[in-house]
Amino acid sequence: MRLAGLLWTSISLLPGMLLAATVIEGRVELPPSRSPPVQAKRYEIVTRGGVLSTQPPLAVVYLDGSFPRPASLPLKQVVQKNLTFIPALLPVQVGTKVEFPNLDDTYHNIFSYSPAKRFDLGRYRPDERPVPAVVFDKPGLVTLRCDIHEHMRGLILVLNTPYFAMTGTAGRFRLEGLPAGRYTLKAWIDSKTTREKPVQLRSNQTLHVDFP
Amino acid sequence: MSLPGPMRNKGVAGFRVRLFAVMMVIVATLTTLGLYLAQRRVAADAERNLQQIFQSELASLHKLEELRHAALADRCDVLAAKPRIHAAIEDDALDLLYPSAKDELRDLMESEEPPPERPAQWLHARFYRFLDSRGRVIQPPNPRDVGELDPKSEEQLALRSLPETHQIGYLLENGGTIDELIAVPIFSTETGDIISALVIGFKPLELADKRTGMKSGIWVNGRLHLPSLSQSAQASLNRRIANAVAGGERGENNFRLQLEGAPHLVFYKRLNPQSLFPPAYEICVYPLAPWTAQLRRLQWQIAGAGTLLLLGGFFASHLAAVRLSAPVKKLALDSEENREKRERAEAALASTAQELERSARYSADASHQLKSPVTVLRVGLESLLAREDFQPEVYEQLSALLQQTRRLTGVIDDLLLLSRMDAGHLKIESASVNLSEIVDEWLDDLSALPDSPEVEIEKQLPPALFVAGEKRYTSLIIQNLLENARKYNRPGGRIRLRARAAGGEVVLCIGNTGRAIPCGENIFERFHHSATPSAASGHGIGLNLARELARLHGGDIRLVCSENDWTEFEVRLPAANGAAPAA
Repeated sequence: MRLAGLLWTSISLLPGMLLAATVIEGRVELPPSRSPPVQAKRYEIVTRGGVLSTQPPLAVVYLDGSFPRPASLPLKQVVQKNLTFIPALLPVQVGTKVEFPNLDDTYHNIFSYSPAKRFDLGRYRPDERPVPAVVFDKPGLVTLRCDIHEHMRGLILVLNTPYFAMTGTAGRFRLEGLPAGRYTLKAWIDSKTTREKPVQLRSNQTLHVDFP
Repeated sequence: MSLPGPMRNKGVAGFRVRLFAVMMVIVATLTTLGLYLAQRRVAADAERNLQQIFQSELASLHKLEELRHAALADRCDVLAAKPRIHAAIEDDALDLLYPSAKDELRDLMESEEPPPERPAQWLHARFYRFLDSRGRVIQPPNPRDVGELDPKSEEQLALRSLPETHQIGYLLENGGTIDELIAVPIFSTETGDIISALVIGFKPLELADKRTGMKSGIWVNGRLHLPSLSQSAQASLNRRIANAVAGGERGENNFRLQLEGAPHLVFYKRLNPQSLFPPAYEICVYPLAPWTAQLRRLQWQIAGAGTLLLLGGFFASHLAAVRLSAPVKKLALDSEENREKRERAEAALASTAQELERSARYSADASHQLKSPVTVLRVGLESLLAREDFQPEVYEQLSALLQQTRRLTGVIDDLLLLSRMDAGHLKIESASVNLSEIVDEWLDDLSALPDSPEVEIEKQLPPALFVAGEKRYTSLIIQNLLENARKYNRPGGRIRLRARAAGGEVVLCIGNTGRAIPCGENIFERFHHSATPSAASGHGIGLNLARELARLHGGDIRLVCSENDWTEFEVRLPAANGAAPAA
């Protein structure tokens, strides 16, 4: 029983070890920042011409495709702090549960009318327990709003794939542990712009892909 | 020539009537003019007053309406900014639009009807709709939640395009209710574009004023909503407003209209200038009946005052006419009397003048007729005296005859002179005459007369005393007086002559002793003869002639006294100017 368990474990780890070796790294050409970055970690959602994006611009690079959903997914959080959503842009895999803790001294009422996920958490205070949470079970872009603070915007990008990464402000990204095969690599830049490139992944190979 | 009494009275009465008529015309004209001006002034004042009242009332009502619109717009702006409504439109969740809005507009929709005394502050929505990006109405899934509207009315909420600002409109539903519409744009928080519009229908403010009886309504899309008026009145008012609006009459305006048999003043004002909704006008109808009644009352008062004024004027004119015509009447009477007197005097004067002329002509003729034979007689007598073959007593008789003839000549000369004076033909050629000299000459002559009685002559004369006059007539005056003084003297009597200058005149007094002239005798009368016969009597011309001559010279002769054996005459003659030219 113990041996069998160990064996299962090694079998299950084996692909992981193999996968870790396959890497895509590169750079996404981001739109110019409208203002010099002051706080590296503080992003906000801005709209320009009806397009939602982060400021400073960031991109989400992910390997598109159909992958088996894991039994459990890590719990994610979008915090409301100083009347903003932190992080402003959160990529998650379908099925991920996201908590929305209120760290402000005021009420918030997080809701979304986005087709990917409609929900309304109602008004709640920081001491609300359990922390209001939503499971995002449909891929797509979800716009987060607060019914009380109309300027607040947050984005949750719900993806089918577990292989995704956010770029830095310079546009650099690195995806590790990828499975071998033919895939499409996509870079989400804003709500209207997603770039894609076909990739051929081989084991233990580091692929360099730039999105111009 | 003179008018008979009744006619004269008639003339005065006519004058009085004319005077009265003229005064009445003036009084009536002034009164009428005054009344006309007063009435016009009163009417103009009243109308201005009325207009001011109406205008200020309208202004305050419009202020109220503006406040209400601002409040409504504010409220709608807040609604339009609601995140759920934005989310529903922006995030393509139109199915959630009306359900989301239902929550947001719940208080507006479910609040109770406003109490009548506070309609302006109360915001109660009857319905609401959203417009899509092309201005069309987004159909609500459940009309009951958003206020039901018939499809035709709902269509009227649509706009040609989405508005950029608040739009005010009015909707007259088929049921006859009127709604006030406010459309507010919904801006995308993401792009800033106008993505939708929210149209909310409110119960409009009912403007009515019990104080002035004003009724208000709304005219929109060619239809009038003023339910307090009768159908026929609404129809006629509707036509009139349509004309006024179509005529392009700008801004707030007014007109008069007969409604339900009474005059009304109608104000109309565009409620939603520059709105995307159809133009709507506020119609305020003021009844003018109270005002016209007041004006009529004022006019009656003025007319009453005018009548009183006219009556007062009538009596005043009458009194004035009587008072003014009284002196005229007196004047007319007086002048009538004067005229009669004058005419009588003129007639008398004319006859006197005629007689005088006749007598003057007669005496002149007589003098001439007499003078020639006397001259012949005298010349004959003188030639007889020149002969030497007569008896001495014949000479004596001839001499007496000649003496009488000469006297006759003197009388005739006197008569001739008198007649010339009477006829006004005698002219004095004035010169400076030495009176003393003349007196002296005549005194010499007097003493030389043959039949002169013995009289003593007392003379107190300055050596030179000049008078202004013609020498021969002055001399004649002195001669006459001196002759009388001698003639009427008594034997052994006395003649006294005194002369002096007194204030521009020379006064010569000639007195003589002798019988006094009886009292009452007019000795200056022509052809006067003393009542008491006397040996020494003249022909009665001398004194008259002397006085006439003295008067002709600007002087006079008068009897100073005649009593106690003393008779004295005084001659006054004008003194010659300055010193004597020649002594």
